[in-house]
Amino acid sequence: MLNPAKTMTPVQDDFEPKIVAFLCKWCSSAGSDLAGVSRLQYPPNAVPIQVMCSGSVSPLYIMSAFKKGADGVLVSGCHPGDCHYMKGNYFARRRLFLVQKLLNFVGLEKDRFRMSWVSAAEGAKFAEVVGDFVRDIKALGPQRRLKVRR
Amino acid sequence: MVSIEELRACAAKLLDEGKVKAVIGYRRGSAGLLAEPCVIDQPADTESLIWDPGCVHNLALYLVKDKKAQAASKTPDKRPLAVVAKGCDSRAVAVLLQENFFKREDVVVIGVSCEGTGVVDARKLAAKLKGRTASQVEFDGADGFKVTIGNTESRVPASEILADRCLECRAPSPVLNDVLFGTAVEQRELAMPFTAVKAAEAASEEERWASWEHHFDRCLRCFACRSVCPMCYCPECVVDSTSFVITAETSAEDKANRVRWCERSAGSGESALYHLTRAMHLAGRCVDCGECERVCPVNIPLRLLNTKLEMEAFEMFEYQAGRDVSQASLLSSFRDEDPNSFVR
Ligand code: SF4
Ligand code: SF4
Ligand code: FES
Repeated sequence: MLNPAKTMTPVQDDFEPKIVAFLCKWCSSAGSDLAGVSRLQYPPNAVPIQVMCSGSVSPLYIMSAFKKGADGVLVSGCHPGDCHYMKGNYFARRRLFLVQKLLNFVGLEKDRFRMSWVSAAEGAKFAEVVGDFVRDIKALGPQRRLKVRR
Repeated sequence: MVSIEELRACAAKLLDEGKVKAVIGYRRGSAGLLAEPCVIDQPADTESLIWDPGCVHNLALYLVKDKKAQAASKTPDKRPLAVVAKGCDSRAVAVLLQENFFKREDVVVIGVSCEGTGVVDARKLAAKLKGRTASQVEFDGADGFKVTIGNTESRVPASEILADRCLECRAPSPVLNDVLFGTAVEQRELAMPFTAVKAAEAASEEERWASWEHHFDRCLRCFACRSVCPMCYCPECVVDSTSFVITAETSAEDKANRVRWCERSAGSGESALYHLTRAMHLAGRCVDCGECERVCPVNIPLRLLNTKLEMEAFEMFEYQAGRDVSQASLLSSFRDEDPNSFVR
């Protein structure tokens, strides 16, 4: 059978990555709003999904996003010590550390998964995180490894 | 050396005194050299118990099955069960206790120490014998096996046919036990923890993906790996939802909107999601009994995924599954000094 992952050229010039961003409602999501109302320019590639806490992001959300064809997945929460639920981001940090190691172990490119701490006041940091992520993923091209083939 | 007579006597005594409702152990299998798990409830039947390098199974699985059966029964038999456990099996019991799956007084652990060796890998043995079939494998000294083929016996160094997980095992003697047969060993020559993972990691990203794509592609999604694992005890698995009942009244919309994390089709993408999710669900819980890898009909190196996370847990969080019943589980605990540099 023809394997599309192997026959298509990996990098196209007009490639616009699709990034799924799981943003904590209390900080990063507000941070992204701040970036918006401050009229900061940053790439529109991230699809935000608001979650109640970075600790509520199940590894399954991440695997599922990649399976459905996300080129990158970002999880962003409150800085250590600032979680609205006290410990959620510490749990997330440990869990997602393992997720990131596991994904890379089976051969998914390191730069496709990213985690960040962005507070509600850090609109500029949010814009920078997304900007960097988009740049790095553009260099990698579309994600085909974990994407399901139909 | 484990004295099988003493082990049998111990099992018979437990049954005789009514301390346990049954003893889960190994007996001679009817096919080939691997032992067969058995449940013994009569003192006289303990004569059939054996202990040899063919005792590969992780019998903690049957504690889980019994617990589920009792929970579903209208007349549950709540008496304790005794189980014969190697190092890895006792770690599985420890994790189940840590997770409060059953209570300490519900189980009597009859520990057997693997001492210098462990159990055989039937595939390695078959490859070594080149078509001949062995009828029995026995322990022979501290670092060898006696293999019987027809009427001839030969000695094989343990390291040649030992299962990979035994080669990498760090705790060959059951830490959690009520009675222990054989000598408790802590350090041994063979110990080469994480050898296979480190070798796999040495390959490039492209090579790693090429091999995993090949493995995920071959997975039949028979779920044998999940069925054999004592840690996969969820009543319903997230990749294989069974509680959504479709009746004549179920609307097309309901069907379309139900959450399906993973489709049943066995393509590489779906299988990747299954295996990665399973690995995460076993992080800090997998005791490296190697059963999943042994039962896989298409030889997917499943241990690699689990031992990769085991290695990270050990190196970054100083966590070992099944080491201590009272420790907080890997993913429900944290330390301030957990790695943070990977976060932007
Ligand atoms: S036992 Fe092997 S083939 Fe079956 S589901 Fe597990 S990995 Fe796939
Ligand atoms: S994942 Fe495999 S090696 Fe780990 S406990 Fe389950 S069956 Fe044993
Ligand atoms: S509330 Fe923001 S990470 Fe927990």
